[in-house]
Amino acid sequence: MSQGKSELTVGEMLLQHGISRRRFIKFCTATASALALPPWMGPAMAEQLRNSPRPSVIYLSFQECTGCVESLTRSFAPTIENLIFNFISLDYDDTLMAAAGEAAETARAKAMKDHFGKYVLLVDGSVPTGAGGAYCTSGGRSAEDTLREAAKGAAAIVCVGTCSSFGGIPFADPNPTGAWPVSAIVGDKPIINVSGCPPMPEVITGTLLQFVTTGQVPDLDEHRRPKVFFGNTIHDRCYRRPFYDQGKFAKTFDDEGARNGWCLYELGCKGPTTYNSCATIKWNGGTSFPIESGHGCIGCSEPGFWDKGSFYSPLSSAAWGKAGEVAPRQVLELTAGAAAVGVALGVASAGVSRLRQRHREQRTDNETKGS
Amino acid sequence: MSRLTDIPIRIEGPAIAGGPPGGPRSDPAPSPGLDFGVSSSGVSAILTELARLLDQLAEKDMPAAIDLRSLPLSSQDRIELERALGNGEVEASVNADGISTLRETRFCGVWWVAHRDAQGDLIAELLEVTRVPELLACSADEIAAAAHTLRERLSVAARPC
Repeated sequence: MSQGKSELTVGEMLLQHGISRRRFIKFCTATASALALPPWMGPAMAEQLRNSPRPSVIYLSFQECTGCVESLTRSFAPTIENLIFNFISLDYDDTLMAAAGEAAETARAKAMKDHFGKYVLLVDGSVPTGAGGAYCTSGGRSAEDTLREAAKGAAAIVCVGTCSSFGGIPFADPNPTGAWPVSAIVGDKPIINVSGCPPMPEVITGTLLQFVTTGQVPDLDEHRRPKVFFGNTIHDRCYRRPFYDQGKFAKTFDDEGARNGWCLYELGCKGPTTYNSCATIKWNGGTSFPIESGHGCIGCSEPGFWDKGSFYSPLSSAAWGKAGEVAPRQVLELTAGAAAVGVALGVASAGVSRLRQRHREQRTDNETKGS
Repeated sequence: MSRLTDIPIRIEGPAIAGGPPGGPRSDPAPSPGLDFGVSSSGVSAILTELARLLDQLAEKDMPAAIDLRSLPLSSQDRIELERALGNGEVEASVNADGISTLRETRFCGVWWVAHRDAQGDLIAELLEVTRVPELLACSADEIAAAAHTLRERLSVAARPC
């Protein structure tokens, strides 16, 4: 039922646009399936949303490259158009909205006032605190001040991308702007981190949809990422895993192993220590993901990934650590024997791979000097 | 035994026209001990889960579903699953942004539901365990709106020219 004369429920709004209840149920069911959400969420989503007004969403962008907004606009399920028109009221986004300047800021202030305590705050980009916050200002205010003010009335904050979740590129050594993730600035609101550089579009929209449908923060891991999307490593779900288990690795990007689609571990793949959904949901409507396209995972959804060494060096033996410590969730799913073998293989592979890579680099250097 | 009707009868194989009172289902449930012909452990797991969900539906009236697209089923697995579940008495199609087909299996309460988009591509496929899939039912507000609309049209039609 309507919450007020001027506030239509999603169901009423859909009917106005000629979208029947059955079409909406089918759409929600397909969306839940595409996002690998539990099947019961489809009808539950439809029922909850039909009877609720569209929640207000405010999107703030700080020290970012706009890659996260670009990713969001490429979501296939639901599409950004579906999201904006059917599920949410996107009351402020300085990249997507038509208004600019004073008109845009007035709209934001009004939305924050009208929906105080209820709006969902989306943030991308890190928050620079150096030079009194002068490294990122808009409308004469620093990013930090804007964030603190907007957070006061937010029901929850969804950090879109690795920059707002963990600091990202700006946070990388030497962090010249004094950048921090949102969680370092705001401590009294529920925060959901949808990390990735950029994050997967369906993970952004799926997380948002799940929150607005249930009104509750989903189960989160230790980095505040939704477990439904960040519960498995890329390695756990990689289709090239059998080659890893058989010890078949590509040594260069154009050798026989690469052409046969062998494991990219020796070419620097960070799949074993990266939690994300790239290997299952994939990118561009399920077309592919980096490993399938021939390049190892760079671990972009993990904290500090920019400072963890080369993307092309195999994971160091230090990353594996003692048996069972590095990827505890992975170990829990394996038998003790398989886990020990996996870790031993990892340690051995790390050492051999690095030695092999050093020899290759030395050969290249010698050939260059001799020419 | 003193009468013809006292002789025990066991029906095997496909349904026979004019069978027992009440009519057989299109694919009668296999007798206890009759092999499903299922060799895949994945299909066995699905069938076991369906049995659990049917118990839940019977005892608590709680519907559930299994998303087939989330399971790593091979084409052989699908054939085995379709053969094991068979066909029931009801098949319906819903035209909503593409055709969705809802087919009751031989196990009452288990529905095989396939959603296709306007281009005919499969966008979701589930085994729903429910009395009637939500997509088939009408909601109370839709019924009320339909009654209102029909009355209006009747009153317009009844007006003298």
